[in-house]
This record gives sequence, structure tokens and C-alpha cells, in this order.
Amino acid sequence: MSIPLVPQLLRSHLRELAQNDQRLDSRTQFEGRDVEIEVGILANAEGSARVRMGDTIVLAGVKFQTMTPYPDRPNEGGLMCMAEVRPVSGRQHEAGPPSAESIELSRVVDRGIRESGCIDTSDLCIIPGEKAWQVILDLFAVSDDGNLFDAFALAGITALRNATIPQEKFELGEDRPLVVSKTPIMCSYQRVGGRFIFDANGREELGGDERIHITLGDDNHVHSLQKGLKGAFTAAEFTELMEEARKKGDELRNMVHALEGGN
Amino acid sequence: MGYGDVEMIDANGIRKDGRKAGDVRPISIELGVVPVADGSCRMRWGTNDVIAAIYGPMEAHPRKIQRQDRAVLDVRYNMAPFSTSDRIRPGFNRRSREISKVTAEALESVVMLELYPRSKIRVEIEIICAEAGTRCVGLTAASVALAHAGIPMTDLVVSVASGKINDVVVCDLNKAEDNYGEADLPMGVLPNTGELVFLQMDGDLSPEEFQEAWDYNMNAAMVIHEYCVEALKTGRYPQ
Repeated sequence: MSIPLVPQLLRSHLRELAQNDQRLDSRTQFEGRDVEIEVGILANAEGSARVRMGDTIVLAGVKFQTMTPYPDRPNEGGLMCMAEVRPVSGRQHEAGPPSAESIELSRVVDRGIRESGCIDTSDLCIIPGEKAWQVILDLFAVSDDGNLFDAFALAGITALRNATIPQEKFELGEDRPLVVSKTPIMCSYQRVGGRFIFDANGREELGGDERIHITLGDDNHVHSLQKGLKGAFTAAEFTELMEEARKKGDELRNMVHALEGGN
Repeated sequence: MGYGDVEMIDANGIRKDGRKAGDVRPISIELGVVPVADGSCRMRWGTNDVIAAIYGPMEAHPRKIQRQDRAVLDVRYNMAPFSTSDRIRPGFNRRSREISKVTAEALESVVMLELYPRSKIRVEIEIICAEAGTRCVGLTAASVALAHAGIPMTDLVVSVASGKINDVVVCDLNKAEDNYGEADLPMGVLPNTGELVFLQMDGDLSPEEFQEAWDYNMNAAMVIHEYCVEALKTGRYPQ
């Protein structure tokens, strides 16, 4: 990927905006774009969701396979999370093997979901030591206008919470819902124009510095953190972001739960 | 179980999904579904759900792929991992590579590439949900997305397949019909001239059956063309 020439101009513009407490799209510092979530949109997936935040659009699909349990955990199934940022989603995304960025993306989303303990892997056991369910969460970017991290994490947990284990198809009894006991939510912040903002769009990402991803569980426990890109931040800055993430996390979690009430 | 043993069409000529032999599955088209792209189209056709996005014309990289006298089309057909009943492992395979190649060649026949020497136009076709006939949906959606991107073309390409089930020739096979069918004939038609830019076939058709399948495709292509034109005028079909 070639490095665009624009960022120097863009960076100085973003710095000016930040000094006046403004953003490119007239949002406030910690204001996210409007979020739309749809569930059950993929006929061939066992659970699915579509998330839209501005011009960022992602899909999440859940599939199930059977696996042999790991020898040290004979009574447990597994979870696999894969993110694909294919060239369809933006002109900067080239074809080829997964980039370091997209691998980081899928691993950070994976950790947030896995470490929250929202999926009880012992519930995925079919025959101890022989057969268990492997849950595969595939995240797919349709349109990348920044902050794929939060969009993927939100689509991912929503799809899992709406997934059905296809036991009939595998002749293992009746279909049953996948039990997901928690709703981990990721909130991402990026330093743009010298200060941290929430939910950077594509242009803010292009002209921004370091980013911080925080995944919180239902009880505000921290489940994953990731600092990305070049830059240094202070403890005071981080404390403020954690505070913001708790508020925003509650808001998004309520949104996910409200969808389920409607089903 | 041999082909033709499963009853896919009843004595009255009604198919399992209620269609008559010449009927096409319901189609809907939406433009601008990838806001960051230069042109895009989502086509739902039966349970098929396909997104096509266009980027370009842009500088062709690396330089060795450039053509002095025309643009190059970089076409990728890909099935999302969750698009089928059994999960597909991500990455290019022989099937998607072949479909990408014949799709590119079909589109090269209509895009006025000579207007953009040394540049590249990217055509990204993503199968989000698959239910037989994805190459036809992908090619049609790509041609609509190219038009949506404002890229000069001599015609749209409308693609549709006909085949044979229980010795009856039918139009636009669905998944079950494709699995148990005896033949499949996908075609890519230029609606304004009746010419073909895409043609494949596998199975077994008598000369009469072949003609019947051919005619079904031609007629269906003209109808689907109307939908595409309507979508390009208003942003979606149906309204």
C-alpha cells in the first residue's frame, strides 16, 4: 500500500479542528456515529448480524463444525474468530494474504469475546474426548470508513447471541440456541489532532496517531486491551478513556439486548 | 442415487418452489451499498445475496500490468466463509479463479477500456449468501455496479442459467435443482444486441433441449435487463 501524500495537510487540519473542540463531521470528542444493527440477515449462517456506523458496514456470520477436543481439555469445544478485510471494502485494501492489520483486528476481537467467558466451552462438548462443537465466527468488512474494530466486535457478539447450534443437520438431536451469557463490548479511541476521540472515521484514522481498544464485560470488568500504532499516552488520558468506555459500553450493550427482546 | 431420481417438478409442470418452467426467482437490486466505493450494487436473486463494488479507474500497479492502449480489469469473485451450508475456508481456490477469469473476459467485452490507457479498474464480487447461479448473479451485479460507477460501456451484461430437471428444461435453477439437475447452461447476454459474452455448460442436453434452454435464457435476460435499467435510474428495483 502506497503512503498517501495528503496526510500532512489532513493532519494540520485535524489539529486545528481539535484546538477548537471540533471534528470533521461535526461530532463531539466522544460522540460515536449512529449505529444500526440487524440480526439474522444471512440465510446460510447459523447466526448473523450486520452493523452500520456511518459509512462503515460489516457482517458477522456464525458457522459450526465438529472437532476433536484438545487432549488437555477433553470436555470442551472451541471458538474461532476470523476477520477478513477484503478489497471490496475500500480502495486501500489490496488482494492477497491477510495483512498484519487484519490479523491484529481479528485477534483483538477474538480476545474480547473469548476472555469475557461469555461462551461456556464445556456446553459445546458432544462426546468427551471425542467430539465437540467448534464455533466459527467470521467477520466480513463490506465498507471501511474507519473503526472496523468496534464494528466487528459489535457484529460478532450480536451474531453469537443470535446463533443456533445446528444439531439436526449433524444428526445430533434437535437444534438449540448457543448459550452466550455476557455481552462484551469494545470501544476504540484514537489520538487525532493531539487528543483522543471515539469512533474515528476513515479520514481521522488516516491523519491520526495511536489508538486504544478497550473491551468491557457486563460488570465493567476489563477483558481485552490493545494499544496500536506509533505514539505514547499518559495514565490520566487512559483513565478518562476507561470512564468513557464504561458509559458507551453500557449504551451499546443495551442496544444489543433490546434487539433480543424484540425477537 | 442417480440423477433424475428425485422428483423436482410435478405432473402439472410446477417446480418445488412453486415456479413454472420458464420462471425466474424473485430479484431485487440496490445501488450504493458500499458507500466508500466508486460504484456498487447488491443483487438478491432467490436466496442469493451478492455485492459488487467498483474502484477506479486508478493507476495500475505494479507497472508491468499496465497496458499502453487500454485499462486492465482486475476482477475478483469470492465466496464469503458463511455464504454456504458448509463453511468455506477463506482464500482463492481453483473454482473462484476460473469464475473470476471468465467474468473479467465477459466484462472486458463491454467496458470501453481504450478510454483509460495505463489504468486499472477493480471489480470486486462478493457472494454473501449462495443458492445456485452465483456466477450469473455476480456477473450481472458487476455490470450494474460498473454502470453505477459511471464507467462507459457499450451495454450491460445480463447473465442467467437454464438447465434440466427430471428431463424437463427449466429456467434459473435453484440449489436443489442444481444439485439433482441433469444439465446447466449459464449465459451472459448483451440485451441491446442479443450477443453473448459469457457461455458455459455442463451436463447432457439434446439439440432440442439445448435450444429450449437457450431461448429461456434469452427471454429471461431481457426481463432482468429491465430490472437493471430501472435500478440504475432510481437506485433500486423494485421500488
